[in-house]
Amino acid sequence: MADEFPFEISPMFEGERIRKEGMHVELAGPKSKGFELVRAADMNDVEDGRFTLIGPDLSDMEEGSRYPFAMIYKIAGELVETDLESIVERRNHEFQNYIQGMMHLNQRDDVWIRVGKEAVSKGLNSFEHIAKAVMMLFKNELPFIEKVEAIYITDMSEIEKEIDNTRAVYKARDERTRGLHDEDVDTFYGCTLCASFAPTNVCVVTPDRISLCGAINWFDGRAAAKVDPEGPQFAIPKGELIDDASGEYSGVNEFAKKLSSGEYDRIKLHSFFEFPHTSCGCFEVVGFYIPEVDGIGWVDRDFAGTAPNGLQFSTMAGQTGGGKQVVGFLGIGVNYFRSPKFIQSDGGWNRVVWMPRMLKEKIFQDIPEDIRAKIATEDDAKDIESLKSFLTAKNHPILERWVEEEAEEEAEEEVPAKAQPATQRGFAAPQMMQMPANFMPSMPMMGGGSGGVRIILKNAKVTVEKITILKED
Amino acid sequence: MARIIAVTGKGGTGKTATSALLIRHLAKGNKVILAVDADPDTNLPETLGCEVSKTIGDIKEFMHSERDNLPPDTNKESVLKSKLYEIIEEMPKYDLLVMGRPEGAGCYCYVNNLLRGIMDKLVDNYDILIIDAEAGLEHFSRRIFRKVDDLIVVTDGSRRGLGTAERIRELVDEMKTDVSNIYVIANKVTETNREMIANTAKELGLQLIGMIPVDEMVIQRDLAGEPLFNLPDDSAAVMEVERIAVKLGL
Repeated sequence: MADEFPFEISPMFEGERIRKEGMHVELAGPKSKGFELVRAADMNDVEDGRFTLIGPDLSDMEEGSRYPFAMIYKIAGELVETDLESIVERRNHEFQNYIQGMMHLNQRDDVWIRVGKEAVSKGLNSFEHIAKAVMMLFKNELPFIEKVEAIYITDMSEIEKEIDNTRAVYKARDERTRGLHDEDVDTFYGCTLCASFAPTNVCVVTPDRISLCGAINWFDGRAAAKVDPEGPQFAIPKGELIDDASGEYSGVNEFAKKLSSGEYDRIKLHSFFEFPHTSCGCFEVVGFYIPEVDGIGWVDRDFAGTAPNGLQFSTMAGQTGGGKQVVGFLGIGVNYFRSPKFIQSDGGWNRVVWMPRMLKEKIFQDIPEDIRAKIATEDDAKDIESLKSFLTAKNHPILERWVEEEAEEEAEEEVPAKAQPATQRGFAAPQMMQMPANFMPSMPMMGGGSGGVRIILKNAKVTVEKITILKED
Repeated sequence: MARIIAVTGKGGTGKTATSALLIRHLAKGNKVILAVDADPDTNLPETLGCEVSKTIGDIKEFMHSERDNLPPDTNKESVLKSKLYEIIEEMPKYDLLVMGRPEGAGCYCYVNNLLRGIMDKLVDNYDILIIDAEAGLEHFSRRIFRKVDDLIVVTDGSRRGLGTAERIRELVDEMKTDVSNIYVIANKVTETNREMIANTAKELGLQLIGMIPVDEMVIQRDLAGEPLFNLPDDSAAVMEVERIAVKLGL
C-alpha cells in the first residue's frame, strides 16, 4: 500500500528529529503561523480522498525557507460526531510523524512541521503525498471514518482568515471538555510517581479531581495509560457507585487496598472528614480543620506565614504527607478548588473559612460569588479569635453550624451521662485558643459509620476538672 | 544509539573548556552532535561562542505555571517536546541544549517523567552527546540521561582535585545510572607538577587519559571572555584534546 508514496510510513520514524541543516522547509511553528483542524461533516459534504491546496506547493518552496501552514480535514461517517474531532485531530500528529523525513510537533494552532531535504530528494515534492498518506492512515486506523478530505493552506492571508474560526472551534471544545464529570466516565486513573516517598499513597485522578501535585488531570492519566498501561499512570475502573455525595466507588476502594499495601481500603474522593483521599508529599495545598469554628482552612506551599491554627504549611505537610489518610488534614491540587464536587460531602465552599490572600486571589473567580467576601485571609484573621470575629461580622454560612452545635450541646447537658462537659467540645473552649505550635487538633465526633474516634495529641497540655466516660446502653 | 560523554569536575578546573574543545574536535567530522550544558554555574554556550536564550529549566517552569491554563485535554508531552525543540540552539555543526536553573518549589515528578521519555527519544537522533555536567551529577541521578558511556573527570594538578575525581567515582557507584568508563583529564599542567599528577593518579587507581598544559592562548581568551571554539589548531590545549579524542576513539 505504501508503495505509491515516495517515502516510507512507519511508527519507527516517530521520534525522528529534523535539524535545521537537514531541513528542506519549515512549516508553521514558533516563528510562523498555522493550525490543524478536524471537522465532522455530513456525508454529502465530503468528497472522499479529495485534496485541495491553497497557496504554494512543496516544489515551489526553496530549500531552507519557512511558510505558514494549515491542515483541515473534513471527516464523515455514520458514527462520526463532533465529539470525536479532537481525538482524530490528535492522530494527525502521529501519522505525519510516521512519514519518513517529516517532523510534526505540538498541536492545534501551535503545530510546527519540518520536511527533510532527504525526503524531498527522494521525490516528496507535493503536499498531496502527505495528505493522501494521512488520509489513508485515518481510514485504516479509524474505521468509523468513511470519508475524508483534506485542505492544506500555505498562504498567510488565507490562514489568517481562517484562524479565528478555528480558535472558536477549539474554545467550544474546551468548554465541552471542562463539562466532563466523574459520572460521565467509567474509568479513573491512578498514579504512582510519588510512591518512592509516599509508599501508601493512593492517588486517584478523576474528571472532578486533579492529582494532588496539580500536574496530572484525568486526560493526562488517560493519555499516559493508553501509551503505557504498566507505567506510572494507569486505569482504575471505577466500579459501583457506593455513595454519590462523598464520591465513594468500589473500584477505587479495591485499588486503595492494592496501592497502599492493605493500609487503606476506603477512599472517598470528595470527602474531608470520612476516609479522605491520602496525602502524598507533593500536594500544592493542605486543608486543615479548625475545631473552634467547625470550618476548614487551606494553606498553600507559597505561603510562608502561619495559618490561624498557629501552624505553617511545612508543619502541616510534614504531619499529613507520606501517603497517609489523616482525618482533619487534606492535601489537594489547586485546581481541585475549581471542581464542582470540591469537598461536597462536607459542605463544599460553605465550610471554607480561611486561606492566604495570594491563593484566594488566584482562584477568586472560581469561588462561589456569595461566599467570596466571607472567606478570611491573613489580612483579616491571624488567629482563632480574629477569625471568629471576622466570620461573625461577615455572616459566614458556617455560623449556622455554630447554632446547631450550641443547640446540640445544650441538649447534651441535659443528659449528663452521655456528654462531655460543654467547654471541652465546641469552639468556645478557652484552653483551645492557646494551641501550642505543634498541636495537632483532635477531631470532633464523627457521624455513624466511621468506626470510632482517633485522637492524637502531641505535646499537648490539657487541664480537665473531671471526665466521665460511660458505656452507651 | 548515541554515545554519551559526560565531562565533570569541581568548579574552576576547566571542564567547560575541555567540553568545548572536544566539541570543536567533533565538529570537524560528520557525526551529529548534541552539546548539553548541564551545569547552571558555567557557560558552555559562551565558551562555544553562541547565545542561548532559554533553558529546560525555563520550559519546566512554563509547564508548571501554565498547566491549568492549557486546554484540559492537551497532550502535555507533545507540548513539552515542542518547547524543548524550540530551545535547542541549532549551530552549523552541532545542536546545543542548556539544562538551566534548578527547579522551584512544588512537584516536578510529572514533568520530569515526561522529560525523561522525550530525552530518551531525542538522544537517539544524535551520534554523540557531550555533556558539561556539574559535579553533583544531578541530571544523571534524576535519570534525565539514563546512561553514560564515558565519564570524564577534569581536575587541576592538586591532590584535592584528584580527590574529587575519586569522590565522583564513589558517587557513580551509588547512582542507578549505568556508567561504562571513568577517565581523568588533568588540566593546567606544568612541567613542575606533571610527574606528581601522574603518580597521584596511579596511587588512587584513576585512569589518566590526558594532561592539558597551561595554555597562554586559553588564558587570554578566558580573560577577555572570548569563546574557545575558534582557538587555532596549534594551541597546546587544542593539540592535547585532539590526542585525548583519538584515545577515546572520537
